[in-house]
Amino acid sequence: MRLLEHEAKALLRANMIPIPEGVIITKHDTRSSIHLPTVLKSQVPVGGRGKLGGVVVVKSKEELESAIDTLFSLDIKNYTPNVLLAEEKISILREHYVSLLIDRDSASIRLIAYKDGGVEVENNISSHDFLNIAIDESTLDSDAKQLASYLEYDIKLVRPLLVHLYATFTRNDATLLEINPLIYTTEGTLICGDCKMELDDAARFRHPEWNFEDKPSDTNFVSLDPDGSIATIANGAGLAMATVDAVAARKMKPANFLDIGGGANTASILIAFKRIMEFKRIDAIVINIFAGITRCDEVARAIIEAKKQIDSLPPLFIRLAGTNFEEAVALLAAENITTMASLDECLAAAKEVTHA
Amino acid sequence: MRKELFTAKNVIVQGITGSHGAFHTATMRASGTHIVAGTSPNKAGQVIDGVPVYATIHAIQQDHQVDISVIFVPAPFAKDAMIEAIEAKVPLIICITEGVPVHDMLEVKKQAEQSNVTIIGPNCPGVLVPGINKLGIIPASMGTPGRVGIVSRSGTLTYEAAAGLTARGIGQRYIIGIGGDRIQGTNFIDCLRLFEEDDEVSSIVLIGEIGGSSEQHAADYIKSHVSKPVYAYIAGHSAPIGIQLGHAGAILGGEGETAASKTEALQQAGVTTSISIVTLIESVK
Repeated sequence: MRLLEHEAKALLRANMIPIPEGVIITKHDTRSSIHLPTVLKSQVPVGGRGKLGGVVVVKSKEELESAIDTLFSLDIKNYTPNVLLAEEKISILREHYVSLLIDRDSASIRLIAYKDGGVEVENNISSHDFLNIAIDESTLDSDAKQLASYLEYDIKLVRPLLVHLYATFTRNDATLLEINPLIYTTEGTLICGDCKMELDDAARFRHPEWNFEDKPSDTNFVSLDPDGSIATIANGAGLAMATVDAVAARKMKPANFLDIGGGANTASILIAFKRIMEFKRIDAIVINIFAGITRCDEVARAIIEAKKQIDSLPPLFIRLAGTNFEEAVALLAAENITTMASLDECLAAAKEVTHA
Repeated sequence: MRKELFTAKNVIVQGITGSHGAFHTATMRASGTHIVAGTSPNKAGQVIDGVPVYATIHAIQQDHQVDISVIFVPAPFAKDAMIEAIEAKVPLIICITEGVPVHDMLEVKKQAEQSNVTIIGPNCPGVLVPGINKLGIIPASMGTPGRVGIVSRSGTLTYEAAAGLTARGIGQRYIIGIGGDRIQGTNFIDCLRLFEEDDEVSSIVLIGEIGGSSEQHAADYIKSHVSKPVYAYIAGHSAPIGIQLGHAGAILGGEGETAASKTEALQQAGVTTSISIVTLIESVK
């Protein structure tokens, strides 16, 4: 789960990490509490907003209203904000990049730092001159020393920051905590200019305090090609990717990726059919289910319902296997809907009805 | 991982009284797996489907040697279950549970490495050694005894590959789903080493995915350590690149995480690669 900047910064503040003073602006607020000059920041759950006009410095009262209106209507990578953050302007001496993340390969938490932070950080880093070390509760002292010496600051300045960042990361089941830029101010302090944070959804059961803005998630249904001719429905991310790959390998154009997930029911599958109908050039729908926890009969019921509810449904090519397979085939057969033994057969048949 | 780990006899189920645990205890026993006992903290003394229930692994060990534990406990308790099994020195621990927090797995992995036990999973379908042992939820009907070693990150593609080979009359020695979570007990290299060292295996099928770099490491390992033919497919050739949140992925070399670059790395290691699961199954000799 991605947090918005202001949500992540609230977690930083709760862990005694310095952040700029700021207020949250909703669409219908009075703006009286905003001190000028201020930095207005669109609260969208994607990176790169600065380059797209999502961060604006406002100096006068006259500019404020229109700047707020502009930011609320500005689309940033398909997101428009529900709130803005108005922060004090910080006088910057140096900017750095610091992040904590979970590294798959070493199965550890890693501390990454780079001297020159900012929006272009990944392009500016030349291969090996950034700091990349494993970090652990038991080694925090020496980790802080390494960070201090890398960034060329006194350990007294760096150690509390790192200890608190580590605590924020572990207490909140974070998988990414990125401070970019970490600002060294003209007053000689370190303060977090921007923060991106990702929390582990799986840990929600032990965080009743989590109450963040819902962000639309498209992990289950991804549009691949608006002109695609083959729509796909599958279960499990791996099988869904494999189904799309197999369509492409047969020289047909996949329109979408859809993983109906483990707990799919008739209603959620029907929604998927309706989203597929928004594509203009679908010649065939390939349904590939290898059911473990998903039940084939549930999928079959959804298919029958879709046929009834949706006019001009393109031809369906269905492959079902696994849990309750026989029941599903019987249900479909009663409605004169046939199934195929393999994905490959489905694709061969779909190819026959494809126009382009 | 030694091959003896997977052919060992005495299996227990942690979380045997839950719906998944009870259901799959029955399917494992129906496939000939020798389940000596199960655990459930509050239901000690009961008998489920002929299998005695104990409160702890330690209590089971008073009556039986324990070679393998298959874990079905709910995610909030999975860490404690794995750590209990590690402390009891169960040589092979297979965690089927989905949704284990990644910070929990960091802790489990560290303890497992210090204790010299093997963990497979979490969030995986487990292991099927056709005709010998069903350790998890891979349907026994998907496999047939033979000489291929299959290892996969994706659960559904594990089934797909096994069923596809079985339909072609090509049997398998091992079908191992290592799970797709960020922190895995066992990785591709552990399985490749097992397959290379076991004389019962004559060819290898590897199924990867976009994201992470475990396939690149597998390619490096194959180049220097694997003499048997390897067939591979990386799912996600047509997947869109996800919207990157931060810069960390790019700094740490996220470009190598695409299906195309992983496939290329495997090709350079002498692996026969396929661009779809269908052609992968056809390619295996």
